[in-house]
Amino acid sequence: MIPIEYNTGSLAARKTTTATAVLGIALVVFVLAASLMLTEGIKQTLGKTGRPDVGIVIRQGSDAELSSNFDLANVGLILEGSEVKRGPDGNPLGVGEIIVVALMKKVGSDGVSNVQLRGVPDNVYAVRPDVHITEGRKAKPGTDEAVLGQKIRGRFDTLELGQSVELKKGRSVKIVGIFEDGGSGFESEVWCDVDTIRTAFGREGIVSSARAQLTSASAYDQFKTRVESDKRLGLEVQRETEYYEKQSQSLAMFVRVLGTIVAIFFSAGAMIGAMITMYASVASRHREVGTLRALGFSRFSILSCFLIESALLALIGGAFGCLGSLALGTVKFSMMNFATWSEIVFTFHPTPKILGVSMIASAVMGLVGGFLPALQAALLSPIEAMRGE
Amino acid sequence: MNLGGVAANNLRRNKLRSALTIAGVAIAILAFVLLRTIVEAWTAQSSDVANDRIVTRHKVTFVLSLPKRYVDEVRGMKEVKIATWANWFGGKDPNHDTDFFQALACDEKTFFEVYDDMRTTPEQLKAFKEDRQGAIVGEKLLKRLGWKVGETVTLTSQIFPGNWEFHIVGTYEALKKAVDPASFLFHWDMLNERMPKAFQDQVGWIVARVGVGSSAVDTSKAIDDKFESSDVQTKSQDERSFQQSFLGMFSAILTALNIVSAVILGIMMLILGNTVAMGVRERTGEYAVLRAIGFLPRHIALLVIFEAGVLGIVGGGVGLGLAYPFINLGMGRFIEENFSNFFPFFRITPESGAISMAIAVGLALCASLPPAVNAYRLHVVEALRRIA
Amino acid sequence: MSETQAAEEAKGTAPSSNKPPIIRLRGIKKTFWRGKEPVRVLENLDLDVPDGSFEALMGPSGSGKSTILNLVAGLDQPSEGTVEVAGQVISGLSESRLARWRADTIGFIFQSFHLIPVLSAQRNVELPLLLTSLGSSERKKRAQTALRVVGLEDRAGHYPRQLSGGQEQRVAIARAIVNDPRIIVADEPTGDLDRQSADDVLGLLTKLNREFGKTIIMVTHDPAAAERATITRRLDKGQLK
Repeated sequence: MIPIEYNTGSLAARKTTTATAVLGIALVVFVLAASLMLTEGIKQTLGKTGRPDVGIVIRQGSDAELSSNFDLANVGLILEGSEVKRGPDGNPLGVGEIIVVALMKKVGSDGVSNVQLRGVPDNVYAVRPDVHITEGRKAKPGTDEAVLGQKIRGRFDTLELGQSVELKKGRSVKIVGIFEDGGSGFESEVWCDVDTIRTAFGREGIVSSARAQLTSASAYDQFKTRVESDKRLGLEVQRETEYYEKQSQSLAMFVRVLGTIVAIFFSAGAMIGAMITMYASVASRHREVGTLRALGFSRFSILSCFLIESALLALIGGAFGCLGSLALGTVKFSMMNFATWSEIVFTFHPTPKILGVSMIASAVMGLVGGFLPALQAALLSPIEAMRGE
Repeated sequence: MNLGGVAANNLRRNKLRSALTIAGVAIAILAFVLLRTIVEAWTAQSSDVANDRIVTRHKVTFVLSLPKRYVDEVRGMKEVKIATWANWFGGKDPNHDTDFFQALACDEKTFFEVYDDMRTTPEQLKAFKEDRQGAIVGEKLLKRLGWKVGETVTLTSQIFPGNWEFHIVGTYEALKKAVDPASFLFHWDMLNERMPKAFQDQVGWIVARVGVGSSAVDTSKAIDDKFESSDVQTKSQDERSFQQSFLGMFSAILTALNIVSAVILGIMMLILGNTVAMGVRERTGEYAVLRAIGFLPRHIALLVIFEAGVLGIVGGGVGLGLAYPFINLGMGRFIEENFSNFFPFFRITPESGAISMAIAVGLALCASLPPAVNAYRLHVVEALRRIA
Repeated sequence: MSETQAAEEAKGTAPSSNKPPIIRLRGIKKTFWRGKEPVRVLENLDLDVPDGSFEALMGPSGSGKSTILNLVAGLDQPSEGTVEVAGQVISGLSESRLARWRADTIGFIFQSFHLIPVLSAQRNVELPLLLTSLGSSERKKRAQTALRVVGLEDRAGHYPRQLSGGQEQRVAIARAIVNDPRIIVADEPTGDLDRQSADDVLGLLTKLNREFGKTIIMVTHDPAAAERATITRRLDKGQLK
């Protein structure tokens, strides 16, 4: 009813106050969007790391590959079932791998952290067809060569193409290639030959885990039953997606809880800022409000006019905040994966849904913060309002 | 009446705006204190340490163990007063499947002397040493899992198969923040005898205390040099460095929390500065009259600065006033009980409180500078003309 | 009709006794409260305003002339008594109904113009039309017509701060007539203007009364303004003289 130019014109006329409120909301939306994008990044990374038609087998009672170990001989038993897909050469598509973590010096900061090393067998690329070498070449099986996940590249000393990583005294592996896997968690690992790891870390006759590519996702139940039913083996089976889902849950929840606490305080602050701005704005426009009421605009039209103005203010701030958060797209955020005790690298992953939620949140902040001032404006009596100031 | 009184009175004019500004400052300070407390609780473990303790582990990875004979070699060093060892058990109470706690297989003869800040009673210690299946449990853990001294409990392990039965013969209290108050300690022999031959006589890490006159940092280096040429190399760190490097793994999160703290202070300054600037704009006429009467520009500027200072003090006070019960009584208790492995100590330190208050006032004064400068530069004649 | 009556009617000064009064105030009492003290501004006031007249209300400050204006314009309610305008009793109507009634029936002119500073002259004039169901091109046309009547169609895009005081008041007059109201209510329309601009404004008001037949109620201190009116009433301490 009351033209929108009235709102835009008024916002433009009070430049500093408007700018301050916009900046406040922009900061809040930035932090909100960033934490949502990080949570999404965690889900994406760990979510992509698993496939519903792959079963992962670890020792019963272990929570993760790192603390699990069982006999190498059992890998054959695990992979012999009909649920396991066979490759063109007739061999089952499955791997028995050894996981260790190595303490390495971080590049940049003073600290150290754990990096996950995975000892893989020769057929690993057949079992993980989405893995591609982006630079260099594959490691020669049975040698001291290794490939490096692209996310963790350069974040630690010696984790670079052509460099040697020391496993223990006298035993190093040379990085001959960089691989990518669609942004999954594997990109934070170093893949060495499984026997190299075995001898370097004294894991003779053992594997940490086995994974089997199944004929289909529905074959999982049969696979699980068969492997778990042999009590002598003492193994437990999980769908690869569920295994990583569990890991991501605790991490994602951690970020979400922190993010929520921060968001609550921040939005309270932003709403107060908006409220102060709108109260001041209304106070300086008593005469205009009185005139509009005299001309015949209803109290409701005044209320909605000021609500629209504060929502507009907030949306502008929200837009800036979202733009700022998109700039985080290039930032890599590394966290300690509680499940694997090793460093895992995440990115801030923007989605249209996150941007939408952030914009809606800013509009809500504007509406809630601006409600009481708008109400005050609407309830002004025309005569006194025109006399005021 | 002095300028301070006039400034305080000015705030009463627009009670709503002053109240909202104070609320904004209070919320910002509350959030800031909360974030600082989180960071401090996290890093507390690296500050409240024993200065004479060294941790020695496998150089490459904690997944690998050291040969037990290394303990004797460390004990033989002249700088070392006493040494003990422990292995990570990865234990879980099957009745509390998701509860994560530190379970260690240790040398019952020496562990509690090396860790004399884990205080138990002499009788309980004696019982522990004598009972092979004995276990001493941190007080916080005992309470959390609903156990009692004298009970027999069964644990499972993430690393070792089977069920493990222990008799709880005592509890301990953690006297330093660096020490975990919720650990489960049992005899290393229990673990060792159930290991396959190839894996026996391995220790997870060695903890040594240096004698008077020796430095922990130097002795760490000496230990590592000793094993440098052996097949299995070690990495030794004094307890402070050890805790700090552990913290370093979380550096990204801590940095993020620090950035967020700074942002919230920025928002607080925006709100406060805006309010003060609005006040100045409204009162130009009165400032002009004061100048006409004979007050100097700096008096006017001081008026503005004082006003901001009052808002900062009151807002900071309200924020802290809310923070103390919320964190120390409410949230802190909850976190200390349930997340003791990460945050054994979650409380606002006096330094945090003082710093937050100082920041509230300091930033308020900074935020008041641009409007104060404007007020200082007031053109008296122009402003008077506008009122008349 | 006699010759005199016809002549007077042509001049617009004859009491149009054939038509009923467009405004009828009966038994009006208005009391304000200063803290706990009642201030009786109007007591038992009756007033008839003939249709098509140009009335000036004069009197010392506090005499209640602005109060009468507010009652007639539907901006305020009497403590006692009835206000009947254009055949409708408006005293006792709800606030929202009064708002709609004001939009349909009254045009306002204020001493300090009361234009919205962030809107252009064109937009300011269009404001009352937003309360109707007219489409945007129709609104634009009417606003331009109103600006033409007051002689400011070439300033349609200017903002109030770019106009002189006299021009601002003329834009305000355009706003007051754009909705074709029955009655124009003017509170000290020349109070903030220099002599020349005041004369221009008064000339416009006269034109609106004589050519367009608008009833005008004007509160004023300015004797030159009262000259232009067809009826002048004096108020002193709430009593009409």
